[in-house]
Amino acid sequence: MKTQAFTLTQENIIYLDHNATTPLAQSVFDSIPEWSRHWGNPSSIHLAGRGPKSVLRDARKQFADLIGSHPLELIFTSGGSESNNLAIQGVLHALQTGQLKAAKIEGRKKLLYSAVEHPSVVQAMQLAARLGFDVQTIPVLRCGRIDMEALKSLLDESVALVSVMYANNETGNIYPVREIADLVHGVGALFHCDMVQALGKAEFNIKELDVDFASFSAHKFYALKGCGVLFCRTGLVLESLIQGGGQERGRRAGTENILAIAALAKMSEYKSDILKHLGEMKVLRDDLEAQMKARIEGVLINGEQSARLPNTTSAIIPGVDGESLLMNLDLKGFAVSTGAACSSGNPEPSPVLLAMGLSRAEAQSSLRVGLGWGTTKEQIDAFVEALVEVTNRLRSLDQEGQYV
Amino acid sequence: MSKKPRVLLAMSGGVDSSAAAALLVEQGYDVVGVTMQVWDYSANQCDIESGNGTCCSSIDVDDARAVCDVLGIPFYVINCESKFKETVIDDFVGSYLEGRTPIPCVNCNTFLKFDHLVKKMYELDCDYLATGHYAKVGASTKTGAPVIITSRDDWKDQTYFLFTIKPEIVPKLLFPVGDWEKPKLRSYAEEKGLPVAKKKDSTGICFIGKNDYKDFVEAHSTADDMRPGLLRRFSDGRILGEHEGIHRFTYGQRKGLGVFDEKPLYVVKIDPETHDVFLGYEEHLYSNEVVVRDPHFLDQVDVGDELRVKIRFQHKGATAKVVEKKEGRMVFQFTEPQRSVTPGQAAVMYRDQQLVGGAWIV
Repeated sequence: MKTQAFTLTQENIIYLDHNATTPLAQSVFDSIPEWSRHWGNPSSIHLAGRGPKSVLRDARKQFADLIGSHPLELIFTSGGSESNNLAIQGVLHALQTGQLKAAKIEGRKKLLYSAVEHPSVVQAMQLAARLGFDVQTIPVLRCGRIDMEALKSLLDESVALVSVMYANNETGNIYPVREIADLVHGVGALFHCDMVQALGKAEFNIKELDVDFASFSAHKFYALKGCGVLFCRTGLVLESLIQGGGQERGRRAGTENILAIAALAKMSEYKSDILKHLGEMKVLRDDLEAQMKARIEGVLINGEQSARLPNTTSAIIPGVDGESLLMNLDLKGFAVSTGAACSSGNPEPSPVLLAMGLSRAEAQSSLRVGLGWGTTKEQIDAFVEALVEVTNRLRSLDQEGQYV
Repeated sequence: MSKKPRVLLAMSGGVDSSAAAALLVEQGYDVVGVTMQVWDYSANQCDIESGNGTCCSSIDVDDARAVCDVLGIPFYVINCESKFKETVIDDFVGSYLEGRTPIPCVNCNTFLKFDHLVKKMYELDCDYLATGHYAKVGASTKTGAPVIITSRDDWKDQTYFLFTIKPEIVPKLLFPVGDWEKPKLRSYAEEKGLPVAKKKDSTGICFIGKNDYKDFVEAHSTADDMRPGLLRRFSDGRILGEHEGIHRFTYGQRKGLGVFDEKPLYVVKIDPETHDVFLGYEEHLYSNEVVVRDPHFLDQVDVGDELRVKIRFQHKGATAKVVEKKEGRMVFQFTEPQRSVTPGQAAVMYRDQQLVGGAWIV
């Protein structure tokens, strides 16, 4: 039941980087003082523990309703990265200690992940490789599609776990999760899906997707930082990454971040609005791309031919250095990015774009725009004006060849 | 409404460039701070202790960012790691392996600060490029055109490192701290509440810090690159011992030679061909002339001109006459003989306080 129409906390910049993080919903912001009153430890038996315990219970129920799971299939974590690590490392540890007998994958040594996964998946997989697992990547095509033939040829009965994201954070490309889940289950392996970019940008039901594990993050969905969720299908056992108390049914020790969990759950109130927002964002995004193509010569949209989130544009602007473009736009009050926020300051072009087969020059001339629920037509128009101006100026400097 | 002139300021996270940011803001400029991330600190054992005060460390990037936050100005990190490696590190290591004593700061200025950042200045629609160097932009006494002149704080003056700047860039440069003396600048930084006001001065080379340059050279080369050879007496060529590589020596070096004579011995010559290191006495350290290559000029210099020439950063400068100038080579004749003229260092020319050029000592 919605208590407040969706609005955002005030912003003084035009924020078009919603795949990095989202501004806070006004209703979340307004509720913080109330949630903060529940300072007790939810594990306590006394009165002070009851308030927070009920906040936690309600939150679990609300989020479960949002994604279509059972409340007890959810593990609250600190964020998307932890959820990804818990799924991957939790399976590794469970494999090593024989706890995954129920999943019938004991003895399996092969792990697969797509070439465009988030660093938290990539690094967890690389850790597995160092521990002696046979870790392989599933290629992704330039068009933005995952190479399903390659996946099929990599899948056999030695595969323990496969991790493929729902949608890519840089290109917005959506991968055929259900189809992949069926293939993975066909060889008896487990399937993890990083769904961090899905909240608020896609309509889905976790049961229909038939994934075993799925990761979510609250701060990509207008809630607070410091909260994530790992969906863990009922019946599967994971080894906790953090040893300690029995919170989250022994799968994630540590006193729960009640405030951030409540904030995420609050966003579930907007479930019925999601479809409307998806439509609005798509209209604006398509308009943005049409304007960019019409006014900037040579613009290419990455992954355009394949299924995409309705809010994301990843564009190559030939002859323009992404770093300079970004800084110029920032100086004009527009927040966009060249790639994932976690890799900013990194000299290397985006590994995601390189994995799709873009050249280094193309990847270094790429710009990511991520629209949100609060984005307006006026913002898009103002952004296009600024982008056109900066691009023309940078290109004219480049053509002069000499700067002095 | 007239637009404020925009300045791109190169920030190291130290007191000088931080104070420069505050000064520029006070003077009414629209300031954009940038730090060039030049060295992958994580792979090179820079810890919090040794990283403090070296421009390669992430702590310094954080400090520069903190200063910009206090001043309310934008700040960006520009990654220059590969360019720094190619133009500064490789040359630094290569010079030592060939018996020269390099000045990496000049290459960093040539290829990064006054090249890459000039490009960024135009790209970010800035009117000026500023750095925290102790130097000034003044008017030429002859033409009135902007020229680089030495800073007010003579002891701090850093124009020695600026001789490769292209003259056409000079009108675009600002050196906000050039009129300041260090202690006063530090008080100013404190007054302005800059979080770096009490930070220690950086000394030496940013990517070496307090470490031994020899270890760095060896860590960045292979055993095959080493040039072991003989230690010989300069006067008669007599063999005094052996050494593990010419990179371990610099002209005028007295410590760590491992050989003894009746008088103190100094490195007076390194032969990059034979790998012989010649040791001589104090009197052998002096030269009347210096031969240089690849000169850069910021003003007209002709044969016969009498200039003040600095042969190393800490050198006060000595009067010298240009006796030869052709095809990328020059020869200076000193009025008084100069101690330890060192290949790889620069001979930097001044006319009064004006920086007029410089070249590499061979």
